[in-house]
Amino acid sequence: MSRVAKAIGMISGGLDSTLALALVKRQGILVKAVNFYTGLCITETQRRKGGRPDGTIPRNEALRAAADLEVDVEYVDLSESGYLDMIVAPRYGYGANANPCVDCRIFMMSRAREIMEREGADFVFTGEVLGQRPKSQRRDTLRTVERESGLDGRLLRPLSAKLLPPTLPEKEGIVDRERLGDISGRSRRRQMELARELGISDWPQPAGGCCYLTDESFARKFFDVLDAREASGEPRRIAREDVVLLSTGRHFRLSPRAKLIVGRSEMENVLLEGYAPGRARLEAKGLNGPVAIVEGEPTWEERMLAAGIVARFGKGKDLALVPVEWREEGEVETYEVAPERDEARIESLRV
Amino acid sequence: MSEATALPVPDRTIDTSGTLCPLPIVETAKAVRALGAGGVLCVIATDPGIALDMPMWCRATRNEHIATLRDGKAWRSYVRKRKP
Repeated sequence: MSRVAKAIGMISGGLDSTLALALVKRQGILVKAVNFYTGLCITETQRRKGGRPDGTIPRNEALRAAADLEVDVEYVDLSESGYLDMIVAPRYGYGANANPCVDCRIFMMSRAREIMEREGADFVFTGEVLGQRPKSQRRDTLRTVERESGLDGRLLRPLSAKLLPPTLPEKEGIVDRERLGDISGRSRRRQMELARELGISDWPQPAGGCCYLTDESFARKFFDVLDAREASGEPRRIAREDVVLLSTGRHFRLSPRAKLIVGRSEMENVLLEGYAPGRARLEAKGLNGPVAIVEGEPTWEERMLAAGIVARFGKGKDLALVPVEWREEGEVETYEVAPERDEARIESLRV
Repeated sequence: MSEATALPVPDRTIDTSGTLCPLPIVETAKAVRALGAGGVLCVIATDPGIALDMPMWCRATRNEHIATLRDGKAWRSYVRKRKP
């Protein structure tokens, strides 16, 4: 009896990876889908904050794609491994923001190779399209990722396969190259035509990427944390809880030693509350307003400044003085402060 | 599932409260792997997305989604492991 070929498909649930999944599956290959969880997903953060502004909960597109195509799916949690160390010091550098896309792909595809070996699979495939991204999906970069991840010859890009050198599964006859794609570039027209041909009608609209590292505002906060740690003599590193905090609240850099984070909504206040232990927690007393936390070791002046900013974003912003409660390590102090009214000063501190 | 239909007694219950997508599903997958065929798992979750995720995960992995019910501030999701 001949052995059924098996492949590991890296899926995000976007149109490209859904099409890649369908192209491989229709060749009678047993597919296991893999989705990597990094903790940097914008959709996941929307869920953490209670969903979209209209009250709907964003669905998990990788699960949706696997379910629609009846493919087994495995989630791999990268958020506690060396992934965060990699994004701090990427060998191939960053894209426009804090996105080390080439290193990230190498990291994930190395993990996919391990899964391929564990599962006894023949190859790994992705939804990458030649020329779709300026840095990470160039011909030379696709080759670099393949080589550096240890997947030499075993990494198939079904959507662009006919434009790339044949892979081992194609040479071995496991995959019929003629039934793969020759798509390149940024337009999605060919993908939409292929979706119609394959009977795929449900996919998420492109939203400029789901990764926080591609977000300009997040990137500013990300590099601010690294720079401040370095300036304080600490190693340049990011922890899992930093990732959550970087996507929450307004951030104000008081000094290299201290940062203020002010909640922007009820959900963010609740979230910041959860991160108060080990930090200072600030809130205007007896007046509606945000919950805020201060990280690090602020001076007295920085404490007063932080309290003034917290007062500025609450209901007492027009009062002469606002009582702001400062809780830290079981101690509670109340500072009577004037809300900070110097908008230029506030903006100069905003990260 | 109608409320009149009795839910099966789970062989195992896991509590994923406080974790968010996709971690409840990651924990579900691990727990289902350890169950015998036909075994029932109950997953407690506070991620509201569980009501969307669990039926899709069951469809993808060909396990049976019995029900996902609101239980105060949490959800209880019942899954039966597929038979080989």
